[in-house]
Amino acid sequence: MDKMDKERHLIHELLDGELSPEERRDLLDRVNSDPLLKREFDDLRSVVDMVETGERLAVPPAFTSQVMRRLPAPRVSFRKRVSSFFFGARVLRWNLATALVTLCLVVIATGALLQMQKKGNVVSYQSSVEKSSRTVIISFQAPQAKAVAVAGDFNQWSIEKGLMEKKSDGVWTLEVPLEPGTYHYMFVVDGEVWVSDPSAELFRDDGFGNKNSVLRVSL
Amino acid sequence: MVMQAEEYSLIEQCRDGNSEAYAVLVERYQEMVYNVACRMIGDRDAAYDISQESFISAYDGLKRFRSDSKFSTWLYSITVNKCRDYLRGRKPDIPLDEVTEILPSKMPDPEASMYQKQLGHTLQTAIGELPEDYREVIVLKHIEGLDYKEMESILGVSANTLKVRTYRAREMLKKVLLEAGVSNG
Repeated sequence: MDKMDKERHLIHELLDGELSPEERRDLLDRVNSDPLLKREFDDLRSVVDMVETGERLAVPPAFTSQVMRRLPAPRVSFRKRVSSFFFGARVLRWNLATALVTLCLVVIATGALLQMQKKGNVVSYQSSVEKSSRTVIISFQAPQAKAVAVAGDFNQWSIEKGLMEKKSDGVWTLEVPLEPGTYHYMFVVDGEVWVSDPSAELFRDDGFGNKNSVLRVSL
Repeated sequence: MVMQAEEYSLIEQCRDGNSEAYAVLVERYQEMVYNVACRMIGDRDAAYDISQESFISAYDGLKRFRSDSKFSTWLYSITVNKCRDYLRGRKPDIPLDEVTEILPSKMPDPEASMYQKQLGHTLQTAIGELPEDYREVIVLKHIEGLDYKEMESILGVSANTLKVRTYRAREMLKKVLLEAGVSNG
């Protein structure tokens, strides 16, 4: 390596900030006293400055969104998918149209529920017992009967206390105020025929070969 | 070098399939990746595609990323490799006589900004004239401002070799620019 090569090497080290302060000072002294070396130094310094101060290029807009669109679908394990389905947080994005559609659905669902409740009342006449708060409407369909009564725990199995009223559609009903609990009962048709409620949820053997119907009243 | 906790958390979220966390990383490093690709390739459209591919490859490879290194170093490495692949599959570089045609005259344009723009164009073309490995060290050392240690991790070449390569790259760039009429002062 000749002298000029050595000096050139030192200039590169200086540009990289790798010379000690003394080495730097000595080199700059030699550079300033030698026009050829100075030319060498200035040219290299100029090139480095030109590269380092060059304009940074701006990234075209929508770069990130385009990358995100091109990403492969994440591979999520089955366990994670199930966990995310049940416990993952969800964000409801809405607008006026969504709000109006939701409102319509709520109105329709409420109407449908009310309608179902009405129908349920009709069914309950045939199913014999309808609970309303703590007043239980007991009903029994017997269009041909002349008298029907309900006898059970709640009226000490008294036919007189359980006489039912006939409606125009042949359904006999009686409203009975009851505390929450479990009660056994039977219908008595025309004062002599004891009949279990065919639509009762449960039955219990009465010990005499008949099955009492079971009524549960909850809060 | 230990990664910043916030960046580590973002990478962990990406690994769990949260692509929104990756959007944060793309936003953070897109300028870096795009500039490296532009300077290496010299064609903005191709550089845009390479930058996109670099981020997609990085996302695919996040499972293999070692958290004891810097995410930016790893991303630089992916980008440089993408640029190498592109350059090797491309036609030979533009010859120097074509470069000189677009260089400014020795008398600067009266409009300084126009001159700067031309100078930038000249510089880019001159960088494009360098051999691929010289171009890499000039871009990483002087445009990205990295030290030889980090360049060693990115390029997989020893710091001493990279120093020698950088010295030669500067000398060659100086020669190209002087020949093109860009002189000091």
